[in-house]
Amino acid sequence: MFEKLIKKAYRWAQKNSLWVIHFNSGGCNGCDIEILDLLTPRYDVERLGIIAEGSPRHADVLLCTGPVTRQTRDGLWQIYSQMPSPKWVVAVGSCSNTGGVFNGSDTVLGGVDKLLPVDLYIPGCPCRPEAVIEGLVKLRERIASGEA
Amino acid sequence: MRPNNLDDLVALIKAKTGADSTIYTGIANEPAVRIPAGKLREVVTAMMDDLDITHLSAITAQQRGEEKDLIELIYHFWQGSGIAVMMSLPVKSPQVDSLIDIIRGADFYEREVAEMFGVQFAGRKETPPLLLPDEWDQGPPFISDEEGDV
Amino acid sequence: MKKMSIPIGPQHPLLKEPLSMIIDIEGESVLGGSLRLGYVHRGIEKLAQERTYVQDVHLIERICGICSHVHTTTFCLAVEALLEIEAPPRAQYIRALMCELERVHSHLLWLGVLTKHVGLDTIFMHAWHDREMALDIMETISGGRVLHAANMIGGVRFDLDKENEVMIREVVEKLKTQVGGLLDVIENEPALRARTQGVAPITGDMIRKYCAVGPIARASGIDVDMRRDDPWFPYDQLDFEVITHPDGDAWARTFLRTEETRVSLNLCQHILEELPDGPVSVRAKRRVPEGEVVIRTEAPRGEVFYYLRSDGTDKPARLKVRTPTLSALSMLPEQLAAIQVADIPVVLAGVDLCIACADR
Repeated sequence: MFEKLIKKAYRWAQKNSLWVIHFNSGGCNGCDIEILDLLTPRYDVERLGIIAEGSPRHADVLLCTGPVTRQTRDGLWQIYSQMPSPKWVVAVGSCSNTGGVFNGSDTVLGGVDKLLPVDLYIPGCPCRPEAVIEGLVKLRERIASGEA
Repeated sequence: MRPNNLDDLVALIKAKTGADSTIYTGIANEPAVRIPAGKLREVVTAMMDDLDITHLSAITAQQRGEEKDLIELIYHFWQGSGIAVMMSLPVKSPQVDSLIDIIRGADFYEREVAEMFGVQFAGRKETPPLLLPDEWDQGPPFISDEEGDV
Repeated sequence: MKKMSIPIGPQHPLLKEPLSMIIDIEGESVLGGSLRLGYVHRGIEKLAQERTYVQDVHLIERICGICSHVHTTTFCLAVEALLEIEAPPRAQYIRALMCELERVHSHLLWLGVLTKHVGLDTIFMHAWHDREMALDIMETISGGRVLHAANMIGGVRFDLDKENEVMIREVVEKLKTQVGGLLDVIENEPALRARTQGVAPITGDMIRKYCAVGPIARASGIDVDMRRDDPWFPYDQLDFEVITHPDGDAWARTFLRTEETRVSLNLCQHILEELPDGPVSVRAKRRVPEGEVVIRTEAPRGEVFYYLRSDGTDKPARLKVRTPTLSALSMLPEQLAAIQVADIPVVLAGVDLCIACADR
């Protein structure tokens, strides 16, 4: 009983303070500037407890954009492995979902799930800030319920 | 100062470098002269010294020829209006002089042409790849043989 | 003092895009650096050859999300030149309007990034908040905030009705007041000046040496702007000022871009006043006759160069793109060689990097 309460409190704290690190794995910047927009007064994700962090060691969620070019593959893997558990990966935009418009190019892996386990896919080209917020809210629900 | 017309430029090139150049009108919006590949440095030096043409917008490289046996390089300059200098190299071992000691901005353009088309730029200390990933081992991506295979 | 090399990137809080730099320092002085590009190389020129011209408009837009419209405009102008058709005047005016709105949004984005890097977070928030108004206009008329799919070969995809025109006028007026106030603060704010004045000066000779273009060149006194020097209709009909600044330091680059934002907002109003009636597109054939063309336009970061060759089919034979950031990047190591470590963010922000453009 006591354990259940602790777990619930722990998940409540987790979901309300998701610190994100953003990595651009070779995208066109469209999704990246929409993600940066989340920090600005109109969308303001800080009210949801979400702060953008610079170091992978401080982050819970990796927001990844871009189709993962071969040159960024090692960097992306290193960032993911430096994040402490529990951690979640969110693929933002069509490029990181499936490679998007760059599918077929020899220098591109074609999506974040070719390299990392993805917990949430947010579509869009580019992804709207509202869609990213909705995606992060969905992630919060899943964390709170213990699914993610 | 710009050449009044391309004939002036052809005459200047002949006078300064001894090279015979021909006018190429195939590019809409950009008058061009075709020069022998070995005379590139002298032609560009003459253009810089006599006509103050120093801004190099880009170096276009493409595979040409009926049997895809040529690489065409087009040096696009700008001085109030565009002017281009073109030459052809054999696809098997394409070599041309580097311009980086007279136009420093040509550095990145040459590196890109070198990795994408396999062109060797003589006179450079090194030509590291610019854009292709470190692990790239498939040869110049833009070069294909007759059947179109890379 | 000991010499050290600090690696920056490919992921770094300073950088929005992956770029790898090694910066050599001795104490607090920067000695120089080297770059590794290619993290955002997606092989777009090669992909363009494998797709049709119509599909390529969608691809070219995604070279860079910030200056997407000017890329598709240049591409469509090139294809239209080869097809020997002209987009109708109303379409060209709408293209120019979107280009100027894009310049406004790009410069405000840059302003936010610069002030965030120097520690003036409030200006970052205000600049990006005001930028939303420009994005609202683009969204209302085209459906997209950042990637608009405005251009098609032969014209633009949408028209402006009377309501749109009224809305755009109102929002541009509001933007002018808000942005004007913000720019007044910046131009008189001692902290920003102190951080940027005298930092990393670039001489006109350096610009010529590296073939740099755009605001960086204009901030060092080089009077070049493709909107005026190689205009496509309607820029040859519009009056606007090309701003230059003689000093070439980080402050000059800051001042120049803020003034250019003002000029662009005035140009938006001018375009709306001159907007002619008529259709917004003409039919374009799928197969493009053989030919080669060169088009130069002015993106927010400088001269964008496109060379297009067609071989009579519906796919390009060769598309060569040269973006302005490539020249600016080649100048970066020399720029870094004369500064202190604490000035590195100011220099990086002043260059207004767009690695997606440079790498393609």
